Amino acid sequence: MIHHLSAIWKFRHFLMALVRLDLRLRYRRSVLGVGWSLLKPLAMTAVFATVFSGMLGGGDIARYVPHLLIGMAIWEFLRECVVTGCKSLIQGESYIRQSPLPYGIYPLRTVLGQAIHSLIALGVAVVATFYYRPDTNPLGFLYAVPGLALMFLASWAAATIFSFLNVYFQDTSHLLEVGAQIVFFLSPIMYLPEILAAKGMQWLMDINPVALFMELIRTPIMDGAPPSVAMLVAGTSFAAVMMGLAAGTTAWLQKRVIFHL
Amino acid sequence: MAKIDLNDLHLTFTVHQQKRVSLKEYIVRGLFRKSNAMAVHALAGLNLQVRDGDRLGIIGHNGAGKSTLLKLMAGIYPPTQGERVVEGSICSLFDISLGFEPEASGWDNIRFRAYLQGESPASLRGKIQSIADFTELGDFLNLPVRHYSAGMMMRLAFAIATAIEPEILLVDEVLAVGDLAFQQKAQVRMKELMSTARIMVLVAHDLATIRAMCNRVIWMEHGVAKMDGPPDQVVDTYIASVTGQTMPHVGAKAA
Repeated sequence: MIHHLSAIWKFRHFLMALVRLDLRLRYRRSVLGVGWSLLKPLAMTAVFATVFSGMLGGGDIARYVPHLLIGMAIWEFLRECVVTGCKSLIQGESYIRQSPLPYGIYPLRTVLGQAIHSLIALGVAVVATFYYRPDTNPLGFLYAVPGLALMFLASWAAATIFSFLNVYFQDTSHLLEVGAQIVFFLSPIMYLPEILAAKGMQWLMDINPVALFMELIRTPIMDGAPPSVAMLVAGTSFAAVMMGLAAGTTAWLQKRVIFHL
Repeated sequence: MAKIDLNDLHLTFTVHQQKRVSLKEYIVRGLFRKSNAMAVHALAGLNLQVRDGDRLGIIGHNGAGKSTLLKLMAGIYPPTQGERVVEGSICSLFDISLGFEPEASGWDNIRFRAYLQGESPASLRGKIQSIADFTELGDFLNLPVRHYSAGMMMRLAFAIATAIEPEILLVDEVLAVGDLAFQQKAQVRMKELMSTARIMVLVAHDLATIRAMCNRVIWMEHGVAKMDGPPDQVVDTYIASVTGQTMPHVGAKAA
């Protein structure tokens, strides 16, 4: 695994050049350009806050709006990493057929690009939090950094696993899209976590890694306090297990996957 | 010091029928473990040592495993069994028109390719202009590559692929690159590369090229080296065997 990572480091220039290209192409020929990545969550939040704040947000706009914005930025990242990331090996076929690059580089291309994109959206959410919650610790978002790093690693691992799976079983990408839709509603993104707990479904959040990362990232930004040690341990373990699975999948399939592409 | 060592190398891959598999079929096949895959034994226990100064030609009929062997040397195909040891920087000249980013400009694609070949932004800065000059594409380099003609793509690909000075050069067939003027230029560049590389491996059907360029030839058949020796001897025996029979038996297709 160390060998694999150092091989990726060796090709960092190639990787970063492609990530930059992807970002540039994403908003090619659009008037707003990168503004779209700001506008989309803002528009969604405006609609949600108007329609659902009473029902799902407990009527507290100052809490519900930052909750939604941060949640949406995180969710968009996780969803894209899995749904788009699972196609990364198929997308990279022409490179795979030409050069013996480490396989982890292809999902990393997708995940890095999405990370930059989502960080912009998260920046907007942090600013909105200052606006709606002026008495929150202004440096509280720094407590979210470990959560963000763990989420990045776990997402890269997930994208790697699913991209291998998708080569062998191409319905994976469709299944993931359906799955993402389900997980979206099962995670505390458009509703507050208490709502699930009040209905006796706390267990649903305890087993949901999306809820875990929401907690690790959203709570520090909104409350300006570090996440609990238990949460950090859970997040670290989850990321470690995912990285282990991804390393195992890569080691298992990297010598065969080219014959299936 | 560059070297290629292949010890008792096997490469078997399964070719799956290219059709859509329905869920029903998938489950049924999964349950009864009946696979419609066909195993292709592309290399079967190949032993080969290539050392500094070797100009190795590989000949044999279609499907003998020549291209597979080249891809294996390049590290693209992993061996199923056996050992592959390659020391030295590799430049592979096959499938060079693959792997362009169609939406990016010619300049950007030069950068991507160069980074892929292990250049860094600093080391590329001194070379990028000479690569661009070699393509003779001029202002077209500012356009996205998807607007290029096939010949222009080949020019670009060839210029980038041959810009580095490799220790090991792997070439599949003689490259027909672009129009006549560029072809001559490309051949001069190829000869240069072939003379500077420590090891050259050339797969070709053009036996005259093999005789002219190589100092050692192996004749591949059914995934093993049937004969290994000086060019004239091997090529003559090969020609005799082909003309003696009507046509060689065409085995499993392994290109």
